[in-house]
Amino acid sequence: MSSKLHSSNNINQRIPSSCELPRMSSKLHSSNNINHARRMVQQLRMEASRERIKVSKASADLMNYCHEHARTDPLLVGIPTSDNPFKDKKPCIIL
Amino acid sequence: MCDQTFLAATFGPCDNCSKASPLMNIYLKNEPINYCSFCVEMMACQGLQKGETLTSLKKESETLKKKLEEERGKLTDVELHQVAEKVEAVAALSIKTRRVLKGHGNKVLCMDWCKDKRRLVSSSQDGKVIVWDGFTLNKEHGVTLPCTWVMACAYAPSGCAVACGGLDNKCSVVPLSLDRTENLAAKKKSVAMHTNYVSGCSFTNSDMQLLTSSGDGTCALWDVESGQLLQSFHGHTADVLSLDLAPSETGNTFVSGGCDMKANVWDMRSGQNIQSFESHESDINCVKYYPSGDAFASASDDATCRFYDLRADREVAVYQKDSIIFGASSVDFSLSGRLLFAGYNDYTINVWDVLKGNRVSVLFGHENRISRLRVSPDGTALCSASWDNTLRIWA
Repeated sequence: MSSKLHSSNNINQRIPSSCELPRMSSKLHSSNNINHARRMVQQLRMEASRERIKVSKASADLMNYCHEHARTDPLLVGIPTSDNPFKDKKPCIIL
Repeated sequence: MCDQTFLAATFGPCDNCSKASPLMNIYLKNEPINYCSFCVEMMACQGLQKGETLTSLKKESETLKKKLEEERGKLTDVELHQVAEKVEAVAALSIKTRRVLKGHGNKVLCMDWCKDKRRLVSSSQDGKVIVWDGFTLNKEHGVTLPCTWVMACAYAPSGCAVACGGLDNKCSVVPLSLDRTENLAAKKKSVAMHTNYVSGCSFTNSDMQLLTSSGDGTCALWDVESGQLLQSFHGHTADVLSLDLAPSETGNTFVSGGCDMKANVWDMRSGQNIQSFESHESDINCVKYYPSGDAFASASDDATCRFYDLRADREVAVYQKDSIIFGASSVDFSLSGRLLFAGYNDYTINVWDVLKGNRVSVLFGHENRISRLRVSPDGTALCSASWDNTLRIWA
């Protein structure tokens, strides 16, 4: 399992490969294997028993949220220059 | 699977043998139990005798995974972009660079806004952490950390402190002083200790607790005052690169994403992994909750950003284009959640229509890859940090 920091051939290299860092350990003892597998099964059992809603309902809710808040979204609809401290107002005249 | 190498969270009498020792907090049939490590090993061997072999467990794993896929599939009656066809398209955006923050001597790796909507903190590869006034471009505070690659920084909710960490495997909190002459580095306090680099950090709703993600494959919740580990989160099988807390109205959960291509949602109190999403084809660099808290987006090295709905428990949108081939490093939503800003390694920021799935705009300006971007707390501006040593504020 390669650590993110060791992908020196990858253009998406996060930090230079000259940085020596400990790799994450991936060795498992046999009893850890059982524990790990058991935990996986428990996790999956729990996930399988979760309540889910339909994508159509979820999508409708997301759309509603966007719609309700669209008017107050400065980056979406734009707000007047006078209200936006980052947008420069009339140029200053330096005397 | 990573090895937990920091101290166990609790010490006390084992539920099984009553000996006082460091306890492992695990769950059996969703019941939390606290056994000492010896009893956990014994239990594992007993499990073997009952006929539960590694193979049978693996088989059950596969069956459950298939069942999960089926269940999720049953509820996919329609796609998000289809439902969104009747929504009005986003009008042309007029977002431009309004400020360029120069001052870092090397790649800017992270930034965060203060709740006052004007200040921000940024950290860079050369170990410097700078607090800026976004309106005036004033550098209000500067701290030099002894380590390089400060990959994570966060502003405290009160605005009185910042947290930062990186290659030093620690996350420290630095109180901000009004006295400009005071040496801030002297007041720096180490809070989090990991066994590999710290990739992300965030205060919870108060200055008192800090959540961190690390290259050691875990996330952890710390008490700032005492430095004590309050809860640790195990489940990722590779470096965790990003985390985001759910918006306060929706409760105590957070999402994390990492090099194992998985995005996991966690319960902060129990440490349990509630949901897991695996659809990316490469490392997940960034995760961010949708403003309502019912969904989250992720950015990945596979050049796509994806949108996951938590109640439908599945991916509902993929933001990609054939012309985009470089990895996405950071994402954030606009205030209403309609726009998704994503920073890429090809130096651009793409703006996506979250509902319809198409790209609305491209923001050019940076001269190297974007490392992080964040929308301001009131939604008026977007700040991006880049490997070109600058930050830009867009509005």
